Amino acid sequence: MNVAFINHFIESATNVFDTMLGVQITRKSLSLKDSPAPTHEVSAIIGLSGKVVGSVVVSFSSNVALKGAGEMLLMEFDDVNAEVVDAVGELTNMIAGGAKAAMDHMELSLGLPNVVCGRDHRIFFPGNVKPISVGFDTPWGEVAIDVGFNDVLEGNLEDIAAQEAVTV
Amino acid sequence: MKILLVDDSGTMRAIQKRCLFKLGVAEDQVVEADNGQTGLAEFEKGNFDIVLTDWNMPVMDGLTMLKEIRSRNKDIPIIMITTESERARVVAAIEAGVSDYLVKPYTADALNAKLEKWVPASV
Repeated sequence: MNVAFINHFIESATNVFDTMLGVQITRKSLSLKDSPAPTHEVSAIIGLSGKVVGSVVVSFSSNVALKGAGEMLLMEFDDVNAEVVDAVGELTNMIAGGAKAAMDHMELSLGLPNVVCGRDHRIFFPGNVKPISVGFDTPWGEVAIDVGFNDVLEGNLEDIAAQEAVTV
Repeated sequence: MKILLVDDSGTMRAIQKRCLFKLGVAEDQVVEADNGQTGLAEFEKGNFDIVLTDWNMPVMDGLTMLKEIRSRNKDIPIIMITTESERARVVAAIEAGVSDYLVKPYTADALNAKLEKWVPASV
């Protein structure tokens, strides 16, 4: 996978959290995702296809999902219900859409978001895809974004982390 | 002022309704649909003054609905509110007859400004 792709998701997530939720997020970790277990409790998945094919998974800790939905709907949520799931799906749609726009030359189309809750599920990328996972801190808790495309991984994680554009 | 609001996300419809109500639109003047097909069906039933629509939706997407509405009505303002921001997509929407375009994510001010432009203050 062209590692520059991940930058677009980082930048887009930062923009979506700032614009829609009014919160700043801080990137804290970058790693190859080697487990199909979701990073957090509420995960939204969107497929992207064009000159490359892949998926993005945005995994929200429960509190981030609850607070994020509350901010958008001006309500308080105690449980992850249908409204929270919808809000999480839409936030993920906007993150994927922003990254897609930055990869215009890939001529990507977005799928519709699917949201899974709980940690008893597994999310598998195609066998030849090694997704990269980026962790973020938010004022409400943690979020992780896993991005995998069926392309050749270029560069190693140290190189990726050293790229100025990755540091958000 | 009767408004057709088409988006598969209830969250986004709620945000847009909140803005419309602040502009003085009455609650019973907003009709909601969660995809292009139901949006088109509602359009054919009602006498709408403006259509707000998402692009990526199940069953029928917003661009297809836009083309269908334009084949029936060349004048009604249709505003697309979408994550689709690539030049080719915007051009496709313009060619299909979109009246205005707002990219998600948007600030409350940006949404308000866009709707103020199309929804008269005297509603």
